[in-house]
Amino acid sequence: MNGNLLRLLVTRHAAFVAASAVLLAGFQFLICAAVASVDVAGALSTLVQSVPPLFQSFVSSQLFGGFSKSGLLAFGWAHPIAQALGAALAITLGTQAVAGEAEAGTIEFTLSQPLSRRAYLGAHVTFALASLTALTLAGIAGTVIGQRTYGLEPFAAGRLLRFGVDYLLFQAAWFSLAFFLSTWGREAGRVALLAFLLAIVSYLIHVIGSMWEAWRPLVPWTLHAYFKPQEILVQGAGIARPAVVLLGVVAVSLAGAWLRFRGRDLP
Amino acid sequence: MTVLEVSGLAKRYGRVRALRGVSFTVEPGEVFGYLGPNGAGKTTTLRVITGLVRADAGAVRLLGDGSRGAQARERVGYLPGEMHLYGAMTARSLLDHFARYRPHRPPVLRERLLAALDLRESELARKVKWLSHGTRQKVGLVIAMQHDPDLLLLDEPTTGLDPLVQHGFRNLVRELAARGRAVLFSSHVLSEVEAVCGRVGVLRSGELLAVESIETLRARLVRRLDVRFLGAAPAGLSTVPGVTRAEVAGGQATLWLKGDVNPLLAQLAQCPVEHLVFPEPQLEDVFLDLYRQSGTS
Repeated sequence: MNGNLLRLLVTRHAAFVAASAVLLAGFQFLICAAVASVDVAGALSTLVQSVPPLFQSFVSSQLFGGFSKSGLLAFGWAHPIAQALGAALAITLGTQAVAGEAEAGTIEFTLSQPLSRRAYLGAHVTFALASLTALTLAGIAGTVIGQRTYGLEPFAAGRLLRFGVDYLLFQAAWFSLAFFLSTWGREAGRVALLAFLLAIVSYLIHVIGSMWEAWRPLVPWTLHAYFKPQEILVQGAGIARPAVVLLGVVAVSLAGAWLRFRGRDLP
Repeated sequence: MTVLEVSGLAKRYGRVRALRGVSFTVEPGEVFGYLGPNGAGKTTTLRVITGLVRADAGAVRLLGDGSRGAQARERVGYLPGEMHLYGAMTARSLLDHFARYRPHRPPVLRERLLAALDLRESELARKVKWLSHGTRQKVGLVIAMQHDPDLLLLDEPTTGLDPLVQHGFRNLVRELAARGRAVLFSSHVLSEVEAVCGRVGVLRSGELLAVESIETLRARLVRRLDVRFLGAAPAGLSTVPGVTRAEVAGGQATLWLKGDVNPLLAQLAQCPVEHLVFPEPQLEDVFLDLYRQSGTS
Protein backbone atom coordinates (compact mmCIF):
# COMPACT_ATOMS: atom_id res chain seq x y z
CA MET A 1 0.00 0.00 0.00
CA ASN A 2 1.19 3.52 -0.74
CA GLY A 3 0.30 6.42 1.59
CA ASN A 4 0.64 9.00 -1.16
CA LEU A 5 -1.82 7.20 -3.42
CA LEU A 6 -4.15 6.65 -0.47
CA ARG A 7 -4.09 10.38 0.20
CA LEU A 8 -4.96 11.05 -3.44
CA LEU A 9 -7.90 8.64 -3.26
CA VAL A 10 -9.21 10.35 -0.15
CA THR A 11 -8.96 13.74 -1.86
CA ARG A 12 -10.69 12.52 -5.01
CA HIS A 13 -13.48 10.42 -3.50
CA ALA A 14 -14.11 11.94 -0.06
CA ALA A 15 -17.15 13.93 -1.18
CA PHE A 16 -18.77 10.89 -2.82
CA VAL A 17 -18.14 8.67 0.20
CA ALA A 18 -19.42 11.35 2.61
CA ALA A 19 -22.55 11.95 0.51
CA SER A 20 -23.30 8.20 0.37
CA ALA A 21 -22.84 7.89 4.13
CA VAL A 22 -25.04 10.87 4.92
CA LEU A 23 -27.76 9.63 2.57
CA LEU A 24 -27.76 6.13 4.08
CA ALA A 25 -27.81 7.54 7.62
CA GLY A 26 -30.61 9.92 6.66
CA PHE A 27 -32.58 7.14 5.04
CA GLN A 28 -32.32 4.88 8.10
CA PHE A 29 -33.32 7.80 10.31
CA LEU A 30 -36.37 8.42 8.10
CA ILE A 31 -37.35 4.75 8.32
CA CYS A 32 -37.36 5.13 12.12
CA ALA A 33 -39.48 8.26 11.80
CA ALA A 34 -41.95 6.50 9.50
CA VAL A 35 -42.23 3.42 11.71
CA ALA A 36 -42.80 5.57 14.82
CA SER A 37 -45.15 8.10 13.27
CA VAL A 38 -47.74 6.08 11.41
CA ASP A 39 -49.12 2.60 11.65
CA VAL A 40 -46.94 1.31 8.82
CA ALA A 41 -47.24 -2.26 10.07
CA GLY A 42 -51.05 -2.12 10.00
CA ALA A 43 -51.11 -0.50 6.59
CA LEU A 44 -48.72 -3.05 5.12
CA SER A 45 -50.57 -5.91 6.75
CA THR A 46 -53.79 -4.75 5.07
CA LEU A 47 -51.99 -4.27 1.79
CA VAL A 48 -50.50 -7.74 1.89
CA GLN A 49 -53.98 -9.28 2.16
CA SER A 50 -54.60 -8.13 -1.40
CA VAL A 51 -51.55 -9.83 -2.93
CA PRO A 52 -51.52 -13.47 -4.08
CA PRO A 53 -50.88 -16.03 -1.31
CA LEU A 54 -47.59 -16.98 -2.95
CA PHE A 55 -46.21 -13.54 -2.13
CA GLN A 56 -47.86 -13.08 1.27
CA SER A 57 -45.50 -15.22 3.29
CA PHE A 58 -42.42 -13.82 1.53
CA VAL A 59 -43.46 -10.21 2.06
CA SER A 60 -44.50 -10.61 5.67
CA SER A 61 -41.70 -12.87 6.93
CA GLN A 62 -38.74 -12.23 4.62
CA LEU A 63 -39.13 -8.50 4.08
CA PHE A 64 -40.90 -7.12 7.10
CA GLY A 65 -40.16 -9.59 9.89
CA GLY A 66 -43.81 -10.36 10.53
CA PHE A 67 -44.69 -6.63 10.52
CA SER A 68 -43.11 -5.97 13.91
CA LYS A 69 -41.53 -2.54 14.37
CA SER A 70 -38.05 -4.03 14.55
CA GLY A 71 -38.87 -6.05 11.43
CA LEU A 72 -39.80 -2.88 9.60
CA LEU A 73 -36.60 -1.18 10.77
CA ALA A 74 -34.61 -4.16 9.51
CA PHE A 75 -36.43 -3.83 6.21
CA GLY A 76 -34.92 -0.35 6.00
CA TRP A 77 -31.63 -2.11 5.32
CA ALA A 78 -33.04 -4.45 2.68
CA HIS A 79 -34.93 -1.60 1.00
CA PRO A 80 -33.87 -0.99 -2.64
CA ILE A 81 -32.74 2.54 -1.78
CA ALA A 82 -30.38 1.29 0.93
CA GLN A 83 -29.19 -1.50 -1.34
CA ALA A 84 -28.60 0.92 -4.20
CA LEU A 85 -26.63 3.36 -2.02
CA GLY A 86 -24.28 0.62 -0.81
CA ALA A 87 -23.91 -0.97 -4.23
CA ALA A 88 -23.31 2.40 -5.90
CA LEU A 89 -20.38 3.15 -3.61
CA ALA A 90 -18.92 -0.36 -3.68
CA ILE A 91 -19.23 -0.82 -7.44
CA THR A 92 -18.06 2.69 -8.29
CA LEU A 93 -14.90 2.35 -6.21
CA GLY A 94 -14.16 -1.07 -7.69
CA THR A 95 -14.83 0.11 -11.23
CA GLN A 96 -12.77 3.27 -10.96
CA ALA A 97 -9.72 1.54 -9.48
CA VAL A 98 -8.39 0.16 -12.77
CA ALA A 99 -10.87 0.49 -15.65
CA GLY A 100 -11.76 4.07 -14.68
CA GLU A 101 -8.13 5.10 -14.38
CA ALA A 102 -7.26 3.31 -17.63
CA GLU A 103 -10.12 5.03 -19.44
CA ALA A 104 -9.08 8.42 -18.07
CA GLY A 105 -5.45 7.67 -18.98
CA THR A 106 -4.19 8.61 -15.52
CA ILE A 107 -3.00 5.10 -14.66
CA GLU A 108 -0.06 5.42 -17.09
CA PHE A 109 1.51 8.36 -15.30
CA THR A 110 0.78 6.89 -11.88
CA LEU A 111 2.23 3.44 -12.53
CA SER A 112 5.33 4.85 -14.18
CA GLN A 113 6.21 6.29 -10.77
CA PRO A 114 8.14 4.24 -8.21
CA LEU A 115 4.95 2.48 -7.21
CA SER A 116 4.51 -1.27 -7.51
CA ARG A 117 1.30 -2.75 -8.86
CA ARG A 118 0.84 -4.52 -5.53
CA ALA A 119 1.01 -1.17 -3.71
CA TYR A 120 -1.41 0.34 -6.23
CA LEU A 121 -4.00 -2.37 -5.65
CA GLY A 122 -3.35 -2.31 -1.90
CA ALA A 123 -4.12 1.40 -1.69
CA HIS A 124 -7.36 1.01 -3.65
CA VAL A 125 -8.54 -1.95 -1.56
CA THR A 126 -7.65 -0.22 1.70
CA PHE A 127 -9.47 2.93 0.69
CA ALA A 128 -12.55 1.04 -0.47
CA LEU A 129 -12.78 -1.03 2.72
CA ALA A 130 -12.36 2.12 4.84
CA SER A 131 -15.07 3.87 2.82
CA LEU A 132 -17.48 0.95 3.13
CA THR A 133 -16.82 0.79 6.87
CA ALA A 134 -17.64 4.49 7.13
CA LEU A 135 -20.84 3.89 5.14
CA THR A 136 -21.83 1.00 7.41
CA LEU A 137 -21.17 2.99 10.59
CA ALA A 138 -23.09 5.99 9.27
CA GLY A 139 -26.11 3.83 8.40
CA ILE A 140 -26.09 2.14 11.79
CA ALA A 141 -25.75 5.56 13.45
CA GLY A 142 -28.85 6.65 11.52
CA THR A 143 -30.79 3.67 12.85
CA VAL A 144 -29.57 4.12 16.44
CA ILE A 145 -30.21 7.88 16.52
CA GLY A 146 -33.62 7.37 14.89
CA GLN A 147 -34.61 4.73 17.44
CA ARG A 148 -33.63 7.02 20.32
CA THR A 149 -35.24 10.10 18.81
CA TYR A 150 -38.57 8.37 18.20
CA GLY A 151 -38.59 6.19 21.33
CA LEU A 152 -38.35 2.89 19.43
CA GLU A 153 -36.94 -0.17 21.14
CA PRO A 154 -33.22 -0.27 20.28
CA PHE A 155 -31.54 -3.28 18.73
CA ALA A 156 -29.20 -5.14 21.05
CA ALA A 157 -25.58 -4.06 20.61
CA GLY A 158 -24.47 -7.60 19.68
CA ARG A 159 -27.07 -7.84 16.95
CA LEU A 160 -26.10 -4.44 15.57
CA LEU A 161 -22.45 -5.42 15.58
CA ARG A 162 -23.11 -8.70 13.77
CA PHE A 163 -25.35 -6.97 11.31
CA GLY A 164 -22.72 -4.28 10.69
CA VAL A 165 -20.16 -6.97 9.86
CA ASP A 166 -22.64 -8.71 7.55
CA TYR A 167 -23.49 -5.47 5.73
CA LEU A 168 -19.83 -4.51 5.41
CA LEU A 169 -18.86 -7.93 4.03
CA PHE A 170 -21.82 -7.87 1.65
CA GLN A 171 -20.73 -4.53 0.21
CA ALA A 172 -17.07 -5.59 0.25
CA ALA A 173 -18.06 -8.60 -1.86
CA TRP A 174 -19.68 -6.30 -4.45
CA PHE A 175 -16.62 -4.08 -4.41
CA SER A 176 -14.33 -7.07 -4.93
CA LEU A 177 -16.37 -8.42 -7.82
CA ALA A 178 -16.43 -4.99 -9.48
CA PHE A 179 -12.71 -4.67 -8.80
CA PHE A 180 -12.05 -8.03 -10.46
CA LEU A 181 -14.06 -6.99 -13.51
CA SER A 182 -12.25 -3.66 -13.49
CA THR A 183 -8.87 -5.35 -13.89
CA TRP A 184 -10.10 -6.77 -17.22
CA GLY A 185 -11.69 -3.61 -18.56
CA ARG A 186 -10.68 -0.32 -20.12
CA GLU A 187 -14.04 1.42 -19.92
CA ALA A 188 -15.53 2.19 -16.52
CA GLY A 189 -19.08 2.42 -17.87
CA ARG A 190 -19.10 -1.13 -19.22
CA VAL A 191 -17.56 -2.57 -16.07
CA ALA A 192 -20.04 -0.73 -13.85
CA LEU A 193 -22.95 -1.85 -16.02
CA LEU A 194 -21.86 -5.47 -15.80
CA ALA A 195 -21.40 -5.26 -12.02
CA PHE A 196 -24.81 -3.64 -11.53
CA LEU A 197 -26.41 -6.29 -13.74
CA LEU A 198 -24.84 -8.96 -11.55
CA ALA A 199 -26.26 -7.22 -8.45
CA ILE A 200 -29.73 -6.98 -9.98
CA VAL A 201 -29.71 -10.61 -11.12
CA SER A 202 -28.54 -11.69 -7.66
CA TYR A 203 -31.37 -9.71 -6.06
CA LEU A 204 -34.04 -11.03 -8.44
CA ILE A 205 -32.96 -14.67 -8.08
CA HIS A 206 -32.98 -14.23 -4.31
CA VAL A 207 -36.48 -12.75 -4.31
CA ILE A 208 -37.94 -15.22 -6.80
CA GLY A 209 -36.22 -18.16 -5.13
CA SER A 210 -37.68 -17.11 -1.78
CA MET A 211 -41.18 -17.38 -3.21
CA TRP A 212 -40.91 -20.12 -5.80
CA GLU A 213 -39.74 -23.60 -4.97
CA ALA A 214 -38.29 -24.31 -8.41
CA TRP A 215 -35.78 -21.46 -8.07
CA ARG A 216 -34.85 -22.17 -4.46
CA PRO A 217 -31.70 -24.19 -5.31
CA LEU A 218 -30.33 -21.09 -7.03
CA VAL A 219 -30.64 -18.87 -3.97
CA PRO A 220 -27.40 -19.98 -2.24
CA TRP A 221 -25.54 -18.92 -5.40
CA THR A 222 -26.58 -15.30 -4.94
CA LEU A 223 -24.74 -12.82 -2.73
CA HIS A 224 -28.09 -11.56 -1.43
CA ALA A 225 -28.65 -14.92 0.26
CA TYR A 226 -25.89 -13.96 2.71
CA PHE A 227 -27.17 -10.52 3.56
CA LYS A 228 -29.62 -11.14 6.39
CA PRO A 229 -30.94 -8.03 8.14
CA GLN A 230 -34.18 -9.71 9.28
CA GLU A 231 -32.51 -12.83 10.64
CA ILE A 232 -29.74 -10.95 12.46
CA LEU A 233 -31.54 -7.85 13.74
CA VAL A 234 -34.96 -9.39 14.48
CA GLN A 235 -34.23 -13.03 15.26
CA GLY A 236 -30.69 -12.59 16.59
CA ALA A 237 -29.16 -15.10 14.17
CA GLY A 238 -25.39 -15.60 13.96
CA ILE A 239 -23.32 -14.63 10.95
CA ALA A 240 -20.74 -17.39 10.79
CA ARG A 241 -21.92 -18.92 7.53
CA PRO A 242 -22.69 -15.64 5.70
CA ALA A 243 -19.38 -14.22 6.89
CA VAL A 244 -17.41 -17.23 5.64
CA VAL A 245 -19.11 -17.17 2.25
CA LEU A 246 -18.81 -13.40 1.79
CA LEU A 247 -15.19 -13.41 2.95
CA GLY A 248 -14.53 -16.21 0.49
CA VAL A 249 -16.02 -14.18 -2.34
CA VAL A 250 -13.88 -11.19 -1.31
CA ALA A 251 -10.70 -13.28 -1.11
CA VAL A 252 -11.23 -15.12 -4.40
CA SER A 253 -12.20 -11.93 -6.27
CA LEU A 254 -9.22 -9.98 -4.96
CA ALA A 255 -6.86 -12.86 -5.71
CA GLY A 256 -8.25 -13.06 -9.25
CA ALA A 257 -7.91 -9.29 -9.61
CA TRP A 258 -4.28 -9.45 -8.54
CA LEU A 259 -3.45 -12.32 -10.90
CA ARG A 260 -4.94 -10.41 -13.79
CA PHE A 261 -3.57 -6.99 -12.90
CA ARG A 262 0.03 -7.98 -12.25
CA GLY A 263 0.47 -9.19 -15.83
CA ARG A 264 -1.80 -6.82 -17.63
CA ASP A 265 -0.61 -4.35 -20.28
CA LEU A 266 -1.54 -0.79 -19.36
CA PRO A 267 -3.27 1.51 -19.98
CA MET B 1 27.46 1.87 -16.47
CA THR B 2 24.97 1.74 -19.34
CA VAL B 3 21.85 3.54 -18.13
CA LEU B 4 19.39 1.77 -20.40
CA GLU B 5 19.92 -1.48 -22.22
CA VAL B 6 17.17 -2.80 -24.44
CA SER B 7 17.78 -6.13 -26.14
CA GLY B 8 15.64 -8.11 -28.53
CA LEU B 9 12.29 -6.60 -27.53
CA ALA B 10 9.31 -8.14 -29.26
CA LYS B 11 5.66 -7.41 -28.69
CA ARG B 12 2.48 -8.42 -30.46
CA TYR B 13 -1.01 -6.97 -30.09
CA GLY B 14 -3.12 -9.68 -31.65
CA ARG B 15 -1.96 -9.93 -35.27
CA VAL B 16 -0.05 -6.67 -35.13
CA ARG B 17 3.67 -6.99 -34.48
CA ALA B 18 4.32 -3.79 -32.53
CA LEU B 19 8.02 -4.52 -31.86
CA ARG B 20 10.37 -6.92 -33.66
CA GLY B 21 13.64 -7.56 -31.91
CA VAL B 22 14.41 -3.99 -30.93
CA SER B 23 17.84 -3.48 -29.32
CA PHE B 24 19.71 -0.33 -28.32
CA THR B 25 21.52 1.25 -25.39
CA VAL B 26 21.57 4.71 -23.86
CA GLU B 27 24.71 5.84 -22.08
CA PRO B 28 25.18 8.46 -19.35
CA GLY B 29 25.29 11.99 -20.74
CA GLU B 30 23.63 10.96 -23.98
CA VAL B 31 20.46 12.21 -25.64
CA PHE B 32 19.30 9.27 -27.73
CA GLY B 33 16.72 10.09 -30.38
CA TYR B 34 14.04 7.50 -31.00
CA LEU B 35 12.69 8.42 -34.36
CA GLY B 36 9.76 6.97 -36.22
CA PRO B 37 6.38 7.81 -37.70
CA ASN B 38 3.19 7.43 -35.68
CA GLY B 39 2.43 3.77 -35.05
CA ALA B 40 6.06 2.68 -35.48
CA GLY B 41 6.26 1.28 -31.94
CA LYS B 42 7.92 4.16 -30.08
CA THR B 43 5.28 4.41 -27.37
CA THR B 44 5.16 0.63 -26.94
CA THR B 45 8.93 0.59 -26.42
CA LEU B 46 8.71 3.29 -23.75
CA ARG B 47 5.84 1.49 -22.04
CA VAL B 48 7.85 -1.73 -21.97
CA ILE B 49 10.79 0.15 -20.45
CA THR B 50 8.59 1.62 -17.71
CA GLY B 51 6.97 -1.76 -17.02
CA LEU B 52 3.49 -0.73 -18.16
CA VAL B 53 3.53 -3.24 -21.01
CA ARG B 54 5.01 -6.73 -20.84
CA ALA B 55 7.21 -7.71 -23.77
CA ASP B 56 6.70 -11.11 -25.41
CA ALA B 57 10.47 -11.49 -25.74
CA GLY B 58 13.62 -9.57 -24.95
CA ALA B 59 14.93 -7.79 -21.91
CA VAL B 60 15.31 -4.31 -20.47
CA ARG B 61 17.99 -3.31 -17.99
CA LEU B 62 17.25 -0.02 -16.31
CA LEU B 63 20.14 1.55 -14.38
CA GLY B 64 21.62 -1.89 -14.00
CA ASP B 65 18.37 -3.36 -12.69
CA GLY B 66 16.76 -6.06 -14.80
CA SER B 67 13.57 -6.06 -12.72
CA ARG B 68 12.59 -2.46 -13.57
CA GLY B 69 10.98 -2.40 -10.14
CA ALA B 70 9.80 0.57 -8.12
CA GLN B 71 13.31 1.14 -6.79
CA ALA B 72 14.75 1.58 -10.28
CA ARG B 73 11.87 3.83 -11.34
CA GLU B 74 12.71 6.19 -8.47
CA ARG B 75 15.61 7.38 -10.66
CA VAL B 76 13.63 7.58 -13.87
CA GLY B 77 11.45 10.36 -15.24
CA TYR B 78 8.76 9.57 -17.83
CA LEU B 79 6.54 11.76 -19.93
CA PRO B 80 3.83 9.71 -21.67
CA GLY B 81 2.91 10.55 -25.24
CA GLU B 82 -0.77 10.70 -24.38
CA MET B 83 -0.58 12.47 -21.10
CA HIS B 84 -3.63 12.57 -18.83
CA LEU B 85 -3.57 14.20 -15.42
CA TYR B 86 -6.05 14.36 -12.57
CA GLY B 87 -8.17 17.26 -13.77
CA ALA B 88 -9.70 18.20 -10.42
CA MET B 89 -6.34 18.93 -8.81
CA THR B 90 -4.43 22.18 -9.17
CA ALA B 91 -1.18 22.03 -11.11
CA ARG B 92 0.78 22.85 -7.95
CA SER B 93 -0.84 20.08 -5.88
CA LEU B 94 -0.22 17.67 -8.75
CA LEU B 95 3.50 18.52 -8.79
CA ASP B 96 3.59 17.95 -5.02
CA HIS B 97 1.68 14.69 -5.34
CA PHE B 98 4.09 13.20 -7.87
CA ALA B 99 7.11 14.50 -5.95
CA ARG B 100 5.95 12.56 -2.86
CA TYR B 101 6.36 9.27 -4.73
CA ARG B 102 10.12 9.86 -4.48
CA PRO B 103 10.95 10.69 -0.87
CA HIS B 104 14.67 10.18 -1.58
CA ARG B 105 14.72 12.36 -4.72
CA PRO B 106 13.38 15.82 -3.82
CA PRO B 107 12.15 18.07 -6.65
CA VAL B 108 15.41 20.01 -6.88
CA LEU B 109 14.85 21.12 -10.46
CA ARG B 110 11.28 22.33 -10.09
CA GLU B 111 11.88 26.06 -9.85
CA ARG B 112 14.40 25.97 -12.69
CA LEU B 113 11.90 24.08 -14.88
CA LEU B 114 9.02 26.39 -14.03
CA ALA B 115 11.12 29.36 -15.12
CA ALA B 116 12.42 27.72 -18.30
CA LEU B 117 8.98 26.54 -19.36
CA ASP B 118 7.38 29.84 -18.43
CA LEU B 119 4.86 28.31 -16.02
CA ARG B 120 3.47 31.09 -13.89
CA GLU B 121 2.10 30.93 -10.35
CA SER B 122 -1.37 31.86 -11.60
CA GLU B 123 -1.34 28.77 -13.86
CA LEU B 124 -0.09 26.52 -11.07
CA ALA B 125 -2.98 27.65 -8.87
CA ARG B 126 -5.60 26.57 -11.43
CA LYS B 127 -7.20 23.17 -11.71
CA VAL B 128 -5.56 21.06 -14.40
CA LYS B 129 -8.83 20.62 -16.30
CA TRP B 130 -8.94 24.37 -16.92
CA LEU B 131 -5.41 24.54 -18.35
CA SER B 132 -4.66 24.62 -22.07
CA HIS B 133 -3.14 21.56 -23.75
CA GLY B 134 0.25 23.23 -23.96
CA THR B 135 0.25 24.22 -20.29
CA ARG B 136 -0.72 20.69 -19.29
CA GLN B 137 2.20 19.44 -21.35
CA LYS B 138 4.50 21.77 -19.45
CA VAL B 139 3.14 20.46 -16.13
CA GLY B 140 3.83 16.93 -17.36
CA LEU B 141 7.40 17.87 -18.26
CA VAL B 142 7.98 19.33 -14.79
CA ILE B 143 6.60 16.15 -13.20
CA ALA B 144 8.92 14.03 -15.33
CA MET B 145 12.03 16.10 -14.70
CA GLN B 146 11.67 17.83 -11.32
CA HIS B 147 13.54 15.12 -9.38
CA ASP B 148 16.58 15.35 -11.67
CA PRO B 149 16.25 11.78 -12.99
CA ASP B 150 19.24 9.69 -14.04
CA LEU B 151 17.22 8.51 -17.03
CA LEU B 152 14.58 10.64 -18.70
CA LEU B 153 12.09 9.00 -21.06
CA LEU B 154 10.25 11.50 -23.24
CA ASP B 155 7.50 10.49 -25.64
CA GLU B 156 6.79 13.30 -28.13
CA PRO B 157 7.63 15.89 -25.46
CA THR B 158 7.18 19.09 -27.47
CA THR B 159 3.61 18.41 -28.56
CA GLY B 160 1.58 21.54 -27.92
CA LEU B 161 4.53 23.71 -26.88
CA ASP B 162 5.04 27.01 -28.67
CA PRO B 163 8.37 27.46 -30.53
CA LEU B 164 9.95 29.68 -27.85
CA VAL B 165 9.18 27.19 -25.10
CA GLN B 166 10.37 24.34 -27.33
CA HIS B 167 13.69 26.12 -27.62
CA GLY B 168 13.95 26.54 -23.83
CA PHE B 169 13.00 22.92 -23.33
CA ARG B 170 15.71 21.67 -25.71
CA ASN B 171 18.25 23.70 -23.77
CA LEU B 172 17.06 22.01 -20.59
CA VAL B 173 17.52 18.58 -22.14
CA ARG B 174 21.03 19.50 -23.26
CA GLU B 175 21.82 20.76 -19.74
CA LEU B 176 20.62 17.49 -18.23
CA ALA B 177 22.82 15.53 -20.61
CA ALA B 178 25.79 17.78 -19.88
CA ARG B 179 25.43 16.83 -16.22
CA GLY B 180 25.62 13.13 -17.11
CA ARG B 181 21.91 12.32 -17.26
CA ALA B 182 20.67 10.03 -20.01
CA VAL B 183 17.69 10.95 -22.15
CA LEU B 184 15.60 8.83 -24.50
CA PHE B 185 13.87 11.32 -26.76
CA SER B 186 11.07 9.83 -28.84
CA SER B 187 9.71 11.89 -31.71
CA HIS B 188 8.40 11.75 -35.25
CA VAL B 189 9.88 15.17 -36.06
CA LEU B 190 13.27 14.80 -37.70
CA SER B 191 14.41 18.39 -37.16
CA GLU B 192 13.65 18.17 -33.46
CA VAL B 193 15.73 15.03 -33.03
CA GLU B 194 18.49 16.56 -35.15
CA ALA B 195 18.57 19.60 -32.91
CA VAL B 196 19.00 17.85 -29.60
CA CYS B 197 20.21 14.25 -30.02
CA GLY B 198 23.65 12.80 -30.42
CA ARG B 199 22.60 9.35 -31.62
CA VAL B 200 19.42 8.20 -33.23
CA GLY B 201 17.51 4.96 -33.54
CA VAL B 202 15.21 4.88 -36.55
CA LEU B 203 12.11 2.77 -36.06
CA ARG B 204 9.58 1.69 -38.61
CA SER B 205 6.76 -0.86 -38.21
CA GLY B 206 8.26 -2.12 -34.98
CA GLU B 207 11.68 -2.69 -36.48
CA LEU B 208 14.78 -0.69 -35.66
CA LEU B 209 16.22 0.09 -39.10
CA ALA B 210 19.38 1.77 -37.88
CA VAL B 211 21.13 3.17 -34.82
CA GLU B 212 23.66 5.80 -35.77
CA SER B 213 25.09 9.19 -34.93
CA ILE B 214 23.22 12.29 -35.97
CA GLU B 215 26.09 13.19 -38.34
CA THR B 216 25.73 9.87 -40.16
CA LEU B 217 22.00 10.37 -40.36
CA ARG B 218 22.48 13.85 -41.79
CA ALA B 219 24.88 12.48 -44.38
CA ARG B 220 22.25 9.95 -45.45
CA LEU B 221 19.59 12.52 -46.01
CA VAL B 222 18.60 13.25 -49.56
CA ARG B 223 17.27 16.79 -49.33
CA ARG B 224 15.32 18.67 -51.92
CA LEU B 225 16.20 22.17 -53.08
CA ASP B 226 13.99 24.37 -55.28
CA VAL B 227 15.72 27.22 -57.14
CA ARG B 228 14.29 29.85 -59.47
CA PHE B 229 16.91 31.70 -61.52
CA LEU B 230 16.67 35.18 -62.96
CA GLY B 231 17.16 33.68 -66.39
CA ALA B 232 17.72 30.19 -67.70
CA ALA B 233 19.09 27.63 -65.26
CA PRO B 234 22.82 26.99 -65.71
CA ALA B 235 23.90 23.76 -67.32
CA GLY B 236 25.64 20.98 -65.42
CA LEU B 237 23.72 21.21 -62.17
CA SER B 238 23.36 17.44 -62.04
CA THR B 239 27.13 17.02 -62.05
CA VAL B 240 27.77 19.16 -58.96
CA PRO B 241 29.19 16.96 -56.15
CA GLY B 242 26.38 15.83 -53.84
CA VAL B 243 23.56 16.37 -56.33
CA THR B 244 21.93 13.03 -56.98
CA ARG B 245 19.19 14.20 -59.30
CA ALA B 246 18.18 17.40 -61.07
CA GLU B 247 15.00 18.45 -62.85
CA VAL B 248 15.35 21.64 -64.83
CA ALA B 249 12.60 23.48 -66.69
CA GLY B 250 13.51 26.94 -67.98
CA GLY B 251 14.56 29.07 -65.02
CA GLN B 252 13.22 26.59 -62.48
CA ALA B 253 15.32 23.75 -61.04
CA THR B 254 14.57 21.11 -58.47
CA LEU B 255 17.66 19.41 -57.08
CA TRP B 256 18.11 16.43 -54.76
CA LEU B 257 21.20 16.70 -52.61
CA LYS B 258 23.00 14.23 -50.36
CA GLY B 259 25.78 15.16 -47.96
CA ASP B 260 27.68 18.44 -48.07
CA VAL B 261 25.67 21.39 -49.37
CA ASN B 262 28.65 23.72 -49.95
CA PRO B 263 29.68 22.68 -53.50
CA LEU B 264 26.16 23.33 -54.72
CA LEU B 265 25.94 26.67 -52.91
CA ALA B 266 29.23 27.67 -54.50
CA GLN B 267 27.83 26.79 -57.92
CA LEU B 268 24.60 28.68 -57.28
CA ALA B 269 26.50 31.76 -56.08
CA GLN B 270 27.79 32.19 -59.62
CA CYS B 271 24.29 32.60 -61.07
CA PRO B 272 21.62 35.24 -60.40
CA VAL B 273 19.10 33.45 -58.19
CA GLU B 274 15.62 34.94 -57.77
CA HIS B 275 14.23 32.53 -55.20
CA LEU B 276 15.54 29.55 -53.23
CA VAL B 277 13.63 27.10 -51.02
CA PHE B 278 15.38 24.45 -48.95
CA PRO B 279 12.48 22.60 -47.28
CA GLU B 280 12.68 20.94 -43.90
CA PRO B 281 13.96 17.37 -44.38
CA GLN B 282 11.24 14.82 -43.85
CA LEU B 283 11.33 11.55 -42.00
CA GLU B 284 10.37 9.72 -45.17
CA ASP B 285 13.63 10.91 -46.76
CA VAL B 286 15.55 9.02 -44.09
CA PHE B 287 13.49 5.90 -44.57
CA LEU B 288 13.89 5.94 -48.34
CA ASP B 289 17.63 5.91 -47.99
CA LEU B 290 17.60 3.23 -45.31
CA TYR B 291 15.33 1.05 -47.42
CA ARG B 292 17.55 1.44 -50.43
CA GLN B 293 20.51 0.43 -48.32
CA SER B 294 18.81 -2.61 -46.82
CA GLY B 295 17.24 -3.61 -50.14
CA THR B 296 13.69 -3.57 -48.80
CA SER B 297 10.76 -1.46 -49.92
